[in-house]
Amino acid sequence: MERQKVDISKFKKVELIKKLFREDVPEGVIVRPNPKDYNHYHSYGGLSPFFEGLTKGKLLGTECQNCRNTGLWLPPRVDCPDCWEKTEWRDVDTKDAKVYTYSVTNYPGAGFKATVPCPLISLEIPGVCTKFMSYLSEFGEGEPYIGMPVKPKFRIRKPTYTILDISWVPTS
Amino acid sequence: MLELSPDNLRVPKLSRPVYAIGGGLTDFRKFYPEKQSTELCMEAAKMAVTEDLGMGVKEFKQLVNFSVYSQFADHFGDQLLAAAKIHDYLGFDPLGNIEVKTGGATGGSSVLAGIMAVASGYASLVPVIGWERMDEVDTKQGNSYIASAACKDFESELGWLYATYYALMMQRYLYEYSPNRETLAKIAQKNHHYAKFSPYSQLPGDLTLEQIMESKIVSDPLTFPECCAMSVGAACIILADEETAFKLTDKPVKVVGVGSGSHTLRTADRRNMPVLLLPNEDQGLYKDRENEWPGFTSFLAARMAAYLSYNMAGIKDPVEDLDILETHDAFTVSDIQTYEDIGLRPYGQGQEFVESGEAYLEGKLPTNLSGGLLGTMHSVGATGIYQLVEVMWQLKGEWDKFHGDEKYWQKYGKRKPVDFKSLQVDNPRRGMAISHAGTGSHVTSIIFERGW
Ligand SMILES: [Zn+2]
Repeated sequence: MERQKVDISKFKKVELIKKLFREDVPEGVIVRPNPKDYNHYHSYGGLSPFFEGLTKGKLLGTECQNCRNTGLWLPPRVDCPDCWEKTEWRDVDTKDAKVYTYSVTNYPGAGFKATVPCPLISLEIPGVCTKFMSYLSEFGEGEPYIGMPVKPKFRIRKPTYTILDISWVPTS
Repeated sequence: MLELSPDNLRVPKLSRPVYAIGGGLTDFRKFYPEKQSTELCMEAAKMAVTEDLGMGVKEFKQLVNFSVYSQFADHFGDQLLAAAKIHDYLGFDPLGNIEVKTGGATGGSSVLAGIMAVASGYASLVPVIGWERMDEVDTKQGNSYIASAACKDFESELGWLYATYYALMMQRYLYEYSPNRETLAKIAQKNHHYAKFSPYSQLPGDLTLEQIMESKIVSDPLTFPECCAMSVGAACIILADEETAFKLTDKPVKVVGVGSGSHTLRTADRRNMPVLLLPNEDQGLYKDRENEWPGFTSFLAARMAAYLSYNMAGIKDPVEDLDILETHDAFTVSDIQTYEDIGLRPYGQGQEFVESGEAYLEGKLPTNLSGGLLGTMHSVGATGIYQLVEVMWQLKGEWDKFHGDEKYWQKYGKRKPVDFKSLQVDNPRRGMAISHAGTGSHVTSIIFERGW
């Protein structure tokens, strides 16, 4: 009888891990590599107009017509968290946008796409009920500071289709 | 949710008394290849049963009817349904169990779930077991995994680093309230110092304030010693109804207050509202307040949890009525924010709690004598449980038994420091632990009292 064989395909010789976190793996303990390399696919669903807007130089928020006067949601929400009715898209007026708080990231986690140091900012924008988180893509000595006037800058060419497509620069 | 109704603020009530009767820990390490998560959970559970309760494993297992598991991140552990593996490893099948997940507050929420199971009458003896395996990726990837618990659409890409989201709060806190920068460093100094007296601790040490403030900056203005450990380890606490509790121990610790709260995952989305007042704050206290609330300087979830647990436990003034406290000191700034949220000081005056000396061993409300998250551990799923184990040991007067005994230092291959001192608080009656997730997305507050 001819028997079929089962083989482990694409098998490369495994190099066991001997050192991690600057510590030696103790004698008799096996630590093997466990690489991951695959894609995830993420839909922005009803928030897609927001990310589409960034690629066209537009900053969009949402407003609940039912609740009114609660200010724009930015990040936008398709549904109002207060009354659960659908919201409507609005242009965000960024004319008087200011830095509400800031930090400067020096040691980002894996997957960070920007260069460091990267000033992270939260924004205070009149008419918006939230403090939108973003980053400054241009900064000088002593910047950012709380109260600093800033204006948006959009990544229209080669967009990342992430929140990195909007950044802020000093108004002056 | 901007206007809270009386029903929203309903004070929790347990249908029957619940007690914490035993606890166990592993030591906590950055890298722990010697033991799998199953082995670590076994070690913590075995310590709780055989060393704290002092009973046989088989005898104990005959009494168990439900268990709760606590792990923050499946992608760290790289094993979905890990709880089933742990449960099986401990030989608890076919008893029912659940796994709880609320980020950094997973441990606190798991104990809350265990309390609910006993209080409702569903179960009479419940081990709550938590762990985290954070050493299968490097620190950069680990930070990225943790930042997956921020909003992936609007926050994570902006740094892949939780410290940076806390640094935003810290900068705003410094701007609004101008505390001494040194006071924040003192929190790190205190907790790293207390970690010296814990055989379980990962980052013990005596640091000067200069060393803390002049360390490398993770995310301006937070320095490395002001950010919590990333740990591997496990913790177990055993909950029981009254009959079982008194059958198994002479010194059960009673659950007298529980509360949980939440707030938006994105710090950005926190809208202004009037300050929710705690029992020790009167109407006029924030009359002239101009700063936003909760804004970026307070945790509404912590305030909510404290509100419920204080009202349930009949706590009028936490500094007076509590004898020991464990906070979720993931960052120095979040610790000072929490002091205010749980009413140790009015908003803006949190630094006084440290400067007055009250937060120290000799003070009125010793805080994080365990070494906390800064000094001892943040093995996320284990953290909230570990805090409550430490509170329980203090209330039972067992701190020395589980920290001073040479055998624990030897067990973890450590040398007991030559300047070792006892951190047992003198005759404590009541203690609290705060478990906290995200930038305050979930917070639980659990208050224990001597039950004998
Ligand atoms: Zn609405």
